[in-house]
Amino acid sequence: MNSVIESLDLAMDFAPATAGDIAAINLDSARRRSWSRFWRAPERPGIAENIVEQELLTAQFVGDLTAFDRLEVLVSQLARANPEAAQTSLVAAQVACATHRFAEATVSLAEAVARGAPSDTAECLSLTLHQATGKDLLEVVAARRKRVAKPGRWEELAPLGALLADLCEFDEAERTYHQALREYRDVSPFAMAWVCFQLGVLWGELIPDTHSSRAAQWYRKAIEYLPCYVKARVHLAEIYSRVGRIEDAEALLIPAVSSGDPEVHWRLAEVLSARNNCAEADARMQVARSGFELLLKKHLLAFADHGAEFYSGSGDDAGRAFELARVNVVNRPTLRAFEQAYATGIRAGEFDDASKILQDANERWGLTPAFRFCSLADCRSDRVENAAN
Amino acid sequence: MSDHIDGPRQIGDPSIDLTDLFAFTSPENPAHSVLAADVFPSAGASAMFSNVATHSIVVRRASVAGRGDAAKFKTGDEEYRFSCRFDTLVRGPDGKPIQRGACTFPDGQTVRFVVNDEKGAATPDGAFRVFAGLRSDPFILAWLMGPPRRKFENLLLHDNVLSIVVEFDTSHVLDPGKGSLFAAIAETTPLPTSGGFVGHDPPRFDWLGRPEQTNVRLNNPILTGVDDVRDLWNQQTPFAIADEFRPVFRKRLFDSLAAWDLSDGKADWTPAGLAASAEVFLDDFLLFDVSKPITDTSHLEIEKSTLNGLDYQTGGGRTVDTHDIDILLTWLINRDREYLQGGATSATKPGTRQFPYLASPNTEPQTVVDSVDLSAAPDQVWALIGQFGGAWHPLIARIAVTGTGIGQLRTIETIDGKQMIERLEAIDEVQRFYRYTMISGIPALDYVGTLDVKANGAGSSVEWRVQFWADGQPTLIVRTIIATLLKTGLEALKKRFG
Repeated sequence: MNSVIESLDLAMDFAPATAGDIAAINLDSARRRSWSRFWRAPERPGIAENIVEQELLTAQFVGDLTAFDRLEVLVSQLARANPEAAQTSLVAAQVACATHRFAEATVSLAEAVARGAPSDTAECLSLTLHQATGKDLLEVVAARRKRVAKPGRWEELAPLGALLADLCEFDEAERTYHQALREYRDVSPFAMAWVCFQLGVLWGELIPDTHSSRAAQWYRKAIEYLPCYVKARVHLAEIYSRVGRIEDAEALLIPAVSSGDPEVHWRLAEVLSARNNCAEADARMQVARSGFELLLKKHLLAFADHGAEFYSGSGDDAGRAFELARVNVVNRPTLRAFEQAYATGIRAGEFDDASKILQDANERWGLTPAFRFCSLADCRSDRVENAAN
Repeated sequence: MSDHIDGPRQIGDPSIDLTDLFAFTSPENPAHSVLAADVFPSAGASAMFSNVATHSIVVRRASVAGRGDAAKFKTGDEEYRFSCRFDTLVRGPDGKPIQRGACTFPDGQTVRFVVNDEKGAATPDGAFRVFAGLRSDPFILAWLMGPPRRKFENLLLHDNVLSIVVEFDTSHVLDPGKGSLFAAIAETTPLPTSGGFVGHDPPRFDWLGRPEQTNVRLNNPILTGVDDVRDLWNQQTPFAIADEFRPVFRKRLFDSLAAWDLSDGKADWTPAGLAASAEVFLDDFLLFDVSKPITDTSHLEIEKSTLNGLDYQTGGGRTVDTHDIDILLTWLINRDREYLQGGATSATKPGTRQFPYLASPNTEPQTVVDSVDLSAAPDQVWALIGQFGGAWHPLIARIAVTGTGIGQLRTIETIDGKQMIERLEAIDEVQRFYRYTMISGIPALDYVGTLDVKANGAGSSVEWRVQFWADGQPTLIVRTIIATLLKTGLEALKKRFG
């Protein structure tokens, strides 16, 4: 198995990028500097927008999820310093979107537009909101394609790839990601690492016949660009664990523990358990559980799907998993959210509710091409009901 | 699993983003010239250079090719190139990251240096010297460009940049006997690599010549409904703007300069003068003459005199303490009829007379934050502490207020006989917060305090935050003074409101 993972080679040249440790240091130093400037004059244009970018990068790549707490502080301070400004509403919308409070984000975005927020930024966020909630996806695809066609719009490629993947247009999604890798003309490693990570998810989780070896290569490439990339480490460790490379999985996770991301503790607990180190595995699992609960207490909608995945796995609480999956599917009724809610419902023995979720999924997604690729395609609600009886 | 961002967005590497270029006579040795380029706007205290870019300052010999409304500067083909590259990080004995780099000079000599080593490194023959590292940003941006344009405090106060400073023996390197006028640009370019960028390497990431070509002249905030041509400009080749795009940039510069001219309601430029000025700015490089004095006020004098049909008198160039924006706006708006002074008269720190001439970096401000949860409703608490002149704090013996509203001063006498004067900067009775600055009384600079009352269930929460730089006393002592001030005040509120 190991040799399979190592034997494939990514058949392309990769753009050079600033070393990941330099980029991470620079991000942290710039982020701190931005906060200093913000506290001096919260109402000054541009600073809050920089902080949003920097904190989101910190959460996404460094795995420092306290970035979301800081963003809440930012919104609250802006609302006090400059309550009527378009900038305030726009930042509030961005932060609400990042923490999956999509309804709130939609309201704030409308407010920002009414106050004169830049139309391009507003459109970009609106597309993100639609994409995240699975709303009007064909129109979103058309709009994304139009944006990509404009010159100098490299940053539009990755969201388009993610959208195509959501719609199960896997070949085009892959082509789009590859185009993004080819056309990159900067040296920041964050963007390249992100696209590589997305390709890992595509190969490892989204396509019907997943390809762990190829996914592993993309995750490795993402980590090569950005050694601090916690999510890439977690995903690669999962693959290593599955194929028995327990020591490699542990080696990937240990440096990420300091990030505080509970998912690291969860996966490390699984690794330790596989090594029969039950005492430490239990301790790690406890840290993971309390970490998830803390995140859910602060940002329920943002981490409901993560929590559901944890509790339906070795978090071992099917009821809690279903509860969270339901919160998630109500908030963002995407196909993947329906899949998760249905699966956790069945696992929790909530057959009536699972049947209803399946019906809802059919009503919303049943006629789309993507539905036939999903795990719900072969499920029938009458069978669920029979199982319940 | 879901993602919390939808894409990489604008996450370009700030460490290849050029901010400024300087050319001046060495303050230490008049026979030497200094070139300096800055990258990474608002760099934090631990900022490092990208290891995959070449940072270059390029000089060409220049000449005056026309005067008055036919003003024009030509440059030769021969280049004097100063190029720096930076390594990946290594850990020092204390575990902290260290970055090294190398600079290659026009004669092919290369020296290695350590980033942030103020002594820099020199070639064995003493002809060249180089420094690279974090410095205080010398730029003064003390205008809000509007419209309407208005004076403001320096927007770059306390900011740092990553600087590259090269000093060289002027005669040895530039041979001014062949002509003493030179044109300089700075650029960041990809390292030549075997894999490289797929398709084609971007020729450069960023470049600049004179200050504010993009943000003031090409992307004039006064012009509305026009395309942003900055990206297209940044893709041009220095010293060789593409013929196909020259008309686009020429027209934009003309429109922009005309708009600046009329921004004070008076026309100081003729159409022919504007066209000539646009043509001069279209060839974007920093002019300096090594045979004439380069001073803090000589920036753009070469261009201005030539446009006026006169021989230039100074070495032009740009020193670290040049007030670039004021000089530029004065020229564009009223053709030097009346000097336009922005809202700040100096950068955070002035330049120095010693290598590397840009001042040492600014430290990050200290922050003290304390808070208390109270049983009382927010309005009840705010009624007490929301009065800027309120004497609720137990360390206050007397307090007197001068003036009203924003800008009012409070003079506090403490119970141990000290005096503090503070100024109200912002207040919001509805949101229940105010912000103030310290005028005097605590050994600190840029002391900004915020007092904030929020609802917290049935009660309230008070947060008191102070940001400052210690001045004249060790940071720890100043921090302790401020922390005690905050803690004592909040404890008193707890006693009063429960």
